[in-house]
Amino acid sequence: MPKVFYTQPDGVERVIDGTVGDSVMSTAVQNGVNGIVGQCGGALSCATCHVYLDPTEMKLFDDPSEDEDDMLECTASDREDNSRLSCQLVLSEGTDLHVTIPDEQA
Amino acid sequence: MPHPTTTDAPAEYPFGAVTPTEAGQRYRAIAVDRPMTKVTMPFGGDVWVIHRNSAARQMLADSRFVREPFRTGERVVPYFVEFPDFLKTTIQFEDPPHHTKLRKLVQRSISPKRVKAMRDSAIEFANHLIDEMVAKGGPVNLVEEYTVALPIQMLANLLGVPPEDRPKFQKWSSSTLAVANMPEEEVVANMTELVVYMMALIEERRREPREDLLSDLANARDKDDSLTDGEILPIALVLIIGGFDNTANFIGAGVLSLLRNPDQLEVFLSDPDGVAPTAVEEILRHGRMAIGDKVTGGGGMVPFVATEDVTIEGQFIAKGEAALFDPMCCGHDGVALEHDDVFDIRRENNPHLTLSYGMHHCLGAPLARMEMQVGLAELYKRIPELTLAGEAIVDKDNLTQAITDLPVTW
Repeated sequence: MPKVFYTQPDGVERVIDGTVGDSVMSTAVQNGVNGIVGQCGGALSCATCHVYLDPTEMKLFDDPSEDEDDMLECTASDREDNSRLSCQLVLSEGTDLHVTIPDEQA
Repeated sequence: MPHPTTTDAPAEYPFGAVTPTEAGQRYRAIAVDRPMTKVTMPFGGDVWVIHRNSAARQMLADSRFVREPFRTGERVVPYFVEFPDFLKTTIQFEDPPHHTKLRKLVQRSISPKRVKAMRDSAIEFANHLIDEMVAKGGPVNLVEEYTVALPIQMLANLLGVPPEDRPKFQKWSSSTLAVANMPEEEVVANMTELVVYMMALIEERRREPREDLLSDLANARDKDDSLTDGEILPIALVLIIGGFDNTANFIGAGVLSLLRNPDQLEVFLSDPDGVAPTAVEEILRHGRMAIGDKVTGGGGMVPFVATEDVTIEGQFIAKGEAALFDPMCCGHDGVALEHDDVFDIRRENNPHLTLSYGMHHCLGAPLARMEMQVGLAELYKRIPELTLAGEAIVDKDNLTQAITDLPVTW
């Protein structure tokens, strides 16, 4: 079972056991992790599930699509090199993920 | 997701006016009993009204639910009121792929990032309105002096209405508001003037673009080659009609719910800027009930039509049937939130559906949230001793149950 480590802006960490095929966004929303809104449900139209992915884990995913790239320009907190929309980060078997939640989301 | 199993309240839906406490018990009882109820609407026939938060999210995220039959006129929208034709031309009645294209274009201009950049001007304008109120002296109708003016100004700013035109823009736009409570002929006359004005402004922004939403949309044509004036106007109108009315109404409901819950007002006053974000979410979810007036069980967002047979949480929805969700029930279903009967403005996990969810979630959500946060925080920072100076008047004939008069003093 893949784990997702969510770190809040104040450094508090929460670990959730996820399900393969779910996204980092939906795992957060289903488990009440603060700071990830995910209002569009993964339709790439709200920019409210922004996270900073651990730089060493960037290689586990393809580069952002054009639509994700567009929406990453719309986030409330500044975009960084390791910024991703967590609705696009899908959990896979045997891979734990570490994300930091930005100060502001919506 | 688990569902609560015990309750003694009746599970009929819809239900007539009851106290907020009883409404909460009934919402929970209904959600325990079933995920949705088939209701015959005053217009357009039957619709499934979804009560559970989880079932609503499932429907809203399912692309088999569309709005095309309403848009084309093939079906009357099953709803409490008749939808005017022009509303059916707006983005909320579009489906992918056209919806995706429109939404992408608008979203950039009203994104969390763009709205964050507007926050300082919202604070400045809120304080300007408060200065005028203070100079005038209480009591005042807060709806007239504050809750309507703030969202109108912010939307004028976003759309790109020049400062010199804002008084007339405010006059035309506010006529469309439920809180304005204006005779129908006047509404039509004002709407016509608003449309003529907006068309001219779109044309002007196409010729000479600036840093605003209309310019972004008008000039998207070059990149995408198909966004016409006829597509831009409904986007602007839906923002005006959806944006002002609801935001003004929720700011008013927020003030009134805080005034009627002194313990929560004390929490808010202890740190207005710090508490405002969670307070706003709680007002969106529960504010109407926290006011304390009786509430009726029966309400909902714009419906969808199932393009195939779909089963949601055990309930079969046949191809061609319509479905919508009741946001009040979904915010009080006994499962999505703990102690959902309590008005807790520090509540951190608040998965209410008042701004909807999925690809049709409220287009102006970031703006509405920011305006509510600024509107409430600035008001209480400047006038912490704000009190009611009479009875608030709610227009119960209107679908949105707008607060039309909120007399306050200090």
